[in-house]
Amino acid sequence: MAFPKKIKKFIPLTEPKTLLPRRRELRDMIEQDGTFLPKSLLHADLDRGFLDFVRNELKCVVEGKTVPMIDILITTQNWVQFTETWDFQNIDKNTEPPFITVIRTPEVKYGNNPAIVYNIPNRKLYFYMKVPTWDGNKNGFDIYKIPQPVPVDITYTIAIVCNRMREINKFNQIMMEKFASLQAYQNIKGHYIPLKLNSVSDESVMEVEKRKYYIQKYEVLMMGFLIDEDQFEVSPAITRTFQIYETETKYKKRKYNSKIPPEPPVYDLIFPTTSDEIEELFNYNLNLILTFTENVSSFQVYINDDYYGDTLDTIQVSSGDMIRFQIVRVDATKVAKLTYTQSIL
Amino acid sequence: MTNIVPITRLGKFFGENDFNLEIEMGQEWLDGDMNYTCVLYRVDKNKTKTDDVYGEAVSDGIKFLPPVEFNAYVAIAAPENRNVGSTKNVQLEPGNITISVYLKTLEDLEIDIDLGDYIGYYDTESFVRYYTVVNDGRVVSDIKHTYKGYRPFYKTIIAAPVGPNEFRGF
Repeated sequence: MAFPKKIKKFIPLTEPKTLLPRRRELRDMIEQDGTFLPKSLLHADLDRGFLDFVRNELKCVVEGKTVPMIDILITTQNWVQFTETWDFQNIDKNTEPPFITVIRTPEVKYGNNPAIVYNIPNRKLYFYMKVPTWDGNKNGFDIYKIPQPVPVDITYTIAIVCNRMREINKFNQIMMEKFASLQAYQNIKGHYIPLKLNSVSDESVMEVEKRKYYIQKYEVLMMGFLIDEDQFEVSPAITRTFQIYETETKYKKRKYNSKIPPEPPVYDLIFPTTSDEIEELFNYNLNLILTFTENVSSFQVYINDDYYGDTLDTIQVSSGDMIRFQIVRVDATKVAKLTYTQSIL
Repeated sequence: MTNIVPITRLGKFFGENDFNLEIEMGQEWLDGDMNYTCVLYRVDKNKTKTDDVYGEAVSDGIKFLPPVEFNAYVAIAAPENRNVGSTKNVQLEPGNITISVYLKTLEDLEIDIDLGDYIGYYDTESFVRYYTVVNDGRVVSDIKHTYKGYRPFYKTIIAAPVGPNEFRGF
């Protein structure tokens, strides 16, 4: 009985990283093996990566047996075929179905990967990373520069050769599930390379008087890029810095800006025709200095109901004092006015 | 009851006795002198477990009736060197085997060779190659398979090679 699919066979002990931590994890993976630079990625690396993808990601097991894969791209040297197929050859040393093989279209076209489409002219090197250095005496930096990767499109064909329909079905299921979102990714030397399923075709041999077998082909487009580490450039950057400041030796005395004294607050006492007396409570110590009178012939000042004086030019007031002014008008029909300036002590 | 109509063709100078004599002489030459021996593995269609949808047997799942040796005239085509489809995988594909067998031989052995049966033919003492019948030659009305137009006397069977993944005898 098959194991229920909903039951997890392995429980991850750590949470998978997301967002920035995941990006750092990817960066660490790229920088693995002690280099700050990305690893070189050339045609052979892409081919090897694709073969690994077929071997690991498209592993096809039918009736408990893994359908063998020819783990090499057969080119012009025919003897190579034997090295990869010797363990599933028949008595005639022919590769016995079922098996999976990969064919690469020899021509490699300029890539369509929009993420890296050529946009820096003349293979200009650009800044990649600033790496700290220490030679035992001095701290410094090295500047790492790399050219923009060159996008390439490589077309591969994965062919399954077999003589049972269920082997075709199983492999087709694996392919469809892997490319359910049209594309898959293969990690090649730390770079994620997109793969896109282009087409599926059949060239099965079904002639009446021949050995019959199925051949189904899946054309996959690899949208890769080329980076050659020989084109990387590492140059020393700043190791020590002198910073010099030039200052003016002539002393300039700053001009003193004296403050203009504020106008003293004015305290106006206006006596309407109906009253000759005004009472006021002061909550601070000050001197009241008489500056102006109008329609007043004389006046008396009382502090806290104690007589203080007549027609005084200066009155000393303490905090909490109640001052009362009583006037004698010149013209009893007009308003009278006393004006004091306040000088707070 | 089957109606039996005597064959009276060529009656003035050829008859059944002549026909039988010719066949016996031919068998003597083929069986006694040539002695090409084939082994017929007839598929046991009742015991072979097949897939419900495709009718394909599982690996090593083909059951066959007791093998029967028979003599026949054998011709094996030259192998074909070519790629498997459009892959770069080169195969030297063995040629088909063409077997001509007297109808009387089959009658004497009480066998018939059907489409899909397997035939073993020993290339060497230790190596037998298996073929599957792709043309059982059941129609023998043509002039080639009749003795000068008198009566059919042999059938031609064409079989294509199979790999051990499909059939490997015992």
